[in-house]
Amino acid sequence: MSDVSRRDFLKLTAAASAAAAAGELTLAQDKPAEQPSAPAKKSKHKHRKIDYRKATAIPTICFGCTTQCGVLGWVQDGEVRRITGNPLDPNNRGHICAKANGMIHGAYYPERLLFPLRRVGKRGEGKWKRITWEEAYDEIAARMKKIRDAKRPDLLAVHVGRDKTQGVIQRFLHAFGSPHALNRRAICSSNPRVSNMSYFGEPVDWDTGDYGSTRLILNFGANPMEAHQGGMGALQRIQQARVDGGAKLVTFEVRPSATASVSDEFYCVKAGTDGAICMAMAHVIVRDKLYDEKFWTRWCNLSLAELAEHLKPFTPEFAQRESGVPAADIERLAKEFAKAAPRCLTLINRGLTKHYNGAHSGRAARLLDILVGNIGRPGGFGITSRSNWKGEWGQDGLPRFGMPDPNPPAPQPWLPGTPMFEELPEPVKARVKAWPENWQKRYFGELYTPSEYPLSFAWQVMRVGQLIYPYLKEGRGRLELYFSYVFNSGYNYPESQVAREVLLDEKLIPFHVAIDVVVSETSALADIILPETTSLERWDFQVTNSYELVPFTGIRQPVIKPLGESRSVLTIFRDLARRVGGGMEKYFDFEDDEQFYKTAMKNLPISWEELKRRGIYYDASRPKDYELHERPVPAKELEGAQIDEKTGLISVDDKGKPKVIGIMIDKKAVRGFPSKSRKIEVRQDLFAQGARLAGLPAEDPCSAPLPTYFRIPSHVQLEKNELHLVTFKWNVHTQSRSNYFKYQVEIVHTNPVWMHPDTGRRLGLKDGDWIEVSVKRPKGNTYRAGESAAVGSFKNKVKFVKGMHPDVIACSHHVGHWEQGVVAHGKLAREPNGKAGHDPALQDRDIPDNLWWARAKGGPGNGAAINEAFPIDPTPLTGTQNWYDCVATIRKI
Amino acid sequence: MTDQNKPQPLPWENLSDAKPMKQVGMIIDLRRCVGCHACAVACKTEHEVALGGFRIRTHYLDRPDRPTFRFLPMMCMHCQDAPCIPACPQEAIQRLPDGRVDINKGDCLTNRDCIKACPYDAIHIDPQTERADKCNLCQQRTEVGLQPACVEACPTEALKFGDIGDAGSEVAVLAVKGEAKPFRAEKNTKPSVLYIGHEKWMEEKVKGVQLAPGENGVIYEQ
Repeated sequence: MSDVSRRDFLKLTAAASAAAAAGELTLAQDKPAEQPSAPAKKSKHKHRKIDYRKATAIPTICFGCTTQCGVLGWVQDGEVRRITGNPLDPNNRGHICAKANGMIHGAYYPERLLFPLRRVGKRGEGKWKRITWEEAYDEIAARMKKIRDAKRPDLLAVHVGRDKTQGVIQRFLHAFGSPHALNRRAICSSNPRVSNMSYFGEPVDWDTGDYGSTRLILNFGANPMEAHQGGMGALQRIQQARVDGGAKLVTFEVRPSATASVSDEFYCVKAGTDGAICMAMAHVIVRDKLYDEKFWTRWCNLSLAELAEHLKPFTPEFAQRESGVPAADIERLAKEFAKAAPRCLTLINRGLTKHYNGAHSGRAARLLDILVGNIGRPGGFGITSRSNWKGEWGQDGLPRFGMPDPNPPAPQPWLPGTPMFEELPEPVKARVKAWPENWQKRYFGELYTPSEYPLSFAWQVMRVGQLIYPYLKEGRGRLELYFSYVFNSGYNYPESQVAREVLLDEKLIPFHVAIDVVVSETSALADIILPETTSLERWDFQVTNSYELVPFTGIRQPVIKPLGESRSVLTIFRDLARRVGGGMEKYFDFEDDEQFYKTAMKNLPISWEELKRRGIYYDASRPKDYELHERPVPAKELEGAQIDEKTGLISVDDKGKPKVIGIMIDKKAVRGFPSKSRKIEVRQDLFAQGARLAGLPAEDPCSAPLPTYFRIPSHVQLEKNELHLVTFKWNVHTQSRSNYFKYQVEIVHTNPVWMHPDTGRRLGLKDGDWIEVSVKRPKGNTYRAGESAAVGSFKNKVKFVKGMHPDVIACSHHVGHWEQGVVAHGKLAREPNGKAGHDPALQDRDIPDNLWWARAKGGPGNGAAINEAFPIDPTPLTGTQNWYDCVATIRKI
Repeated sequence: MTDQNKPQPLPWENLSDAKPMKQVGMIIDLRRCVGCHACAVACKTEHEVALGGFRIRTHYLDRPDRPTFRFLPMMCMHCQDAPCIPACPQEAIQRLPDGRVDINKGDCLTNRDCIKACPYDAIHIDPQTERADKCNLCQQRTEVGLQPACVEACPTEALKFGDIGDAGSEVAVLAVKGEAKPFRAEKNTKPSVLYIGHEKWMEEKVKGVQLAPGENGVIYEQ
């Protein structure tokens, strides 16, 4: 049938007959009299086309990536057929990216898991039997009870990739008594967070700014047009500022990303050298006194004279030698930046910061914003009140909401003398015993708070996820029961072979429960897989940065009923808590997920029913969060407050403890920044202190208190045949979560190695040649540094791209799966893994019939998994994975 | 508080018949496009387009002047002088009263004459329905006042849809002001889809919507 609705089709047919009857000249007259009508073929495909007159739109939150846009799920006959944007969401403003509709193809994926599975063969062998939820719960609860009876609740861990439950994981673990809510933050954002927290005390983890009304953006390696936390909010405002407002976007990158492509100026820099450019720009701004002196002296803890002295060696010529960017351009852009102030900002993210020098390069970039005083100003870098902040920083966020009371108590620290502490290896014990008491009180063992990476828990507990598996191997941590959730370390962790080796070892991971929607490379190595509801079938809420600079929140609500026997993680943890009992059940005393989240959000000024209707709570009449640091402390709060004469800090009594609520600046009581001193801590002594705690050699520049640039140890001297290797993300993919969504994989399913044509010719390569890329271990003070054997390698095709830096190769990292079903692995003849957990009624003939990129259909295949070649390489002190530090050699095959 | 709690009218509730358009039109503003493929995936989901074919698709093109890319969404141009219409021996393709060009699939015999006739390679054979398939500007959406799927999705509002026959509409103003021009104007098919910011070299480099793997030197991971 045509796309024209039936009603219109009848209308058209009538019109055509009328035209014929009126004797209009149509080509029909040339038609042979006995023109055969179209054969009545029956389509093999069951179409789910949507009729908007019959469909209902249910607002929810996208789970396509971490940006979490407000969306509408259009439901007809109980099926979700389209995802569109929710126009009430102030960030995405009703638009979506290529990932949103993938949720539909994930929910209805024929190889989706819908029933609990228990392995029956060896771990990882792929032999499963379907079990009931009761059987699954019985087995898991028995193991939890055993751990608790042995008084070692810490032997339970939940390792999470993308957790949007807003605290359910931690609640479950704390209720049981374990600190081990493990995560992936070091894989992702810990260095950019440190860059911001070290100045402001607040991670600003999306690098929010007033993009819509800025005039100049200096983008150091971020890629908001393709892959960026908060990308949807950022990219549409940047494009709007550029096209409608005449703003300029300047990008420093190693490859021609989409962002580099739409940029007004693009500088192809050597990997890991952006920090030199930032420092040189700061040098120019200070040398020529182009800074906002009033802002600097009012808010910064370092004098301009000290800064000028510090910046002296970082000349534009120095930066040119390091980065390859002409000194004249650095000079010019520094001056343009200062001239545009406050409508200017820097953009930092993974590209700049996933390096050994990344936390400091991030600091160097942000220094430019501070120098020109754009912080919190229109068109500048923004620190905004997150929706649930009320009281924490004294800002007027939305009324506080969060996990419903009662909340379980946090576990006790692992002080010397506790059984957990005494079990640790001697060098670790010696290190922690030498710490001052306030640091010992933050210590919860090596898996949660690794003692060599104290800045991973100095401001907030970020953890160093990529070290979990090596630490388990080395006996620096011990677990009995391991949950994985929205997590695929077996594919996407650096040295993923180490993750798989540990996950396969029943001595190191005695029992593994995976909560997953499909058999992934990680859940394939589980003992029990619990089928989770997809994001279209469950409840939770989101609190994210607002690009309108007005806090907002939204709820994720079920658009369709959970398929098969899938259950939400909240329901799973509630059921387990009840079964394990012993007191933990009282934190899961709720009827259903809706009631839980309804209670969590009860303080919002709109009713639950109205929130469900809108999907988003956003009060557009609120003033924007400009210059929150300058907001006065209300007189009412000042009653009975103490003022510290030396620091100017204003504090009130909070249950017997002083609580800082602001700072006296020029005799006025204002809020200040969320840092300890309420000022911008340009001088940050935590770096040096962290180095002492970790035992990092004092000469390692990671301990520098002032923003700085230094050459990455692995990059000091490259051999003649060595190249930098970086990875990147595609706009249609999210890590390894989108690789079974058919329309996204159709667009990107391979990942050739991008290389400058001159580099290729120098290496004797032609476009399309096959190569093997091998990576060696890093240098410097990091995990297994300096070992000579290659970590791993991958084989792939070469793609000549003239915008590449000649010393750099780039390879995207989403594809090359061997699990996640046929759309991901592309092997049409393969027996599905976990078939006992599938529902044969979920079918999509398009997938086997038209998967044109499959090798069996003469296609190019599904690309290469590359993460085995990337060494586990945490930045000293912070633990961020240095994804972009790799040094590779290439061999033609 | 009670004020905020008042039920707010929501744009997605109570959809009703939209005012008929005189002449549909689309503006593709290449200055805004960031190559995100949101249009293609929204479209394919909306119409359940089988793997292999596209109704709208964004190409990545190597720029001749800089070492970066330009992004080019391509779709059926809904020509006012559409060569596909006379090409079809079945008369399966019509211009609807509002100017959109649509395939009546019940009449399609997959002769492929339309595919050969289209200067923009906008038509493909859907392997599932075994019929010719192309963009119809989301009639099922526009008739209830919604924007076409690609337009609504587009994060940068690079795609604009409206009544080009209504002189006051945004698309008409853009077209009249001369900023928006046909792609390959020399084909003389009077496209209803117009571009802002395309260049001659792009017209020479791209055949149209469909794309074989590895074609055109396009940087594209396939």
